[in-house]
Amino acid sequence: MIGVGKIKQYSNVLDKPLSRGKQEFCLQVSLSAFAFLFSELVQYNQTQVDNIAELERRLEDAGYAVGARVLELLCHRDKGNRRETRLLGILSFVHSTVWKVLFGKVADSLEKGTEHEDEYMISEKELLVNRFISIPKDMGTFNCGAFVAGIVRGVLDGAGFPAVVTAHFVPMEGQQRPRTTILIKFAEEVLRREARFS
Amino acid sequence: MIVCIAVVGHQNNPLYLQSFTEADDALKLHHIVHCSLDVIDERVNNPKKTGSTLNETYLGLLYPTENYKVYGYLTNTKVKFILVTTHLDVRDADVRNFFRRFHSAYVDAVSNPFHVPGKKITSQTFAERVSTIVKSFGLSSAV
Repeated sequence: MIGVGKIKQYSNVLDKPLSRGKQEFCLQVSLSAFAFLFSELVQYNQTQVDNIAELERRLEDAGYAVGARVLELLCHRDKGNRRETRLLGILSFVHSTVWKVLFGKVADSLEKGTEHEDEYMISEKELLVNRFISIPKDMGTFNCGAFVAGIVRGVLDGAGFPAVVTAHFVPMEGQQRPRTTILIKFAEEVLRREARFS
Repeated sequence: MIVCIAVVGHQNNPLYLQSFTEADDALKLHHIVHCSLDVIDERVNNPKKTGSTLNETYLGLLYPTENYKVYGYLTNTKVKFILVTTHLDVRDADVRNFFRRFHSAYVDAVSNPFHVPGKKITSQTFAERVSTIVKSFGLSSAV
């Protein structure tokens, strides 16, 4: 009877297949655990710096490390090892696959900037990392979404699309809390390469 | 017989090189791996056929030398895996399988928060897993 009906035990959590079907929205990590960890991360960095820009940069660097690893993992696990070479391809990869794996849902919207050719925006009604955070008035335009901006920058950089990524609050009429927008500004070489392709 | 396996970063910096025979010295293997980088660059920048092979990760047989065969594999982040083997009748499917498992081990090694991207991979677990994969490669294709 040994071995009959035995479910395969995964020794490594990275080996477990992603939830599919009914368990689609089942989070693998508890939200409160992450919220506590993230708040500690922000508080720790706050004691080490003396201005807002430095704090944002540190959160972004933390996110960058996550983004680089997420890219490796997702490309191996999910995408069947195909490389993304086009701009729209990598943007929709970030917008759906990466968001799905990290936050359990796809991002709310992906838009192309109207003023500049190299700007794209991913918007979210409320970022998961910001859910339990309220910014005090004297911190101005600081946004803890800088962590998510760092993740996006890590993914884009690893895939060969260097970009500057920032997070902004965009006030919406008719809603109390402002929407969060991740602004992606690609480097010159990416646009030149894209122009050569098309 | 797999002679050596190497991981090369996206700026062509060596991240990991492991040889599995005592006979050849490391310098010669470094040289072979270094030469194969040129072949990879040429394959990536001038694709022979457009379409499906443009985004393929497995690059196949790169070039045969007098007693070695060199296989290449390119990941999404431009990290290259090079496999040098003396096996005469190695099958394509075996090499693909090998690279798939090696990629798994590589992703696990990189996900280590203490690993600095761009530096050499120093994880013991990674080295052990690679040895296991290499051993099973020899056995499965000795049909």
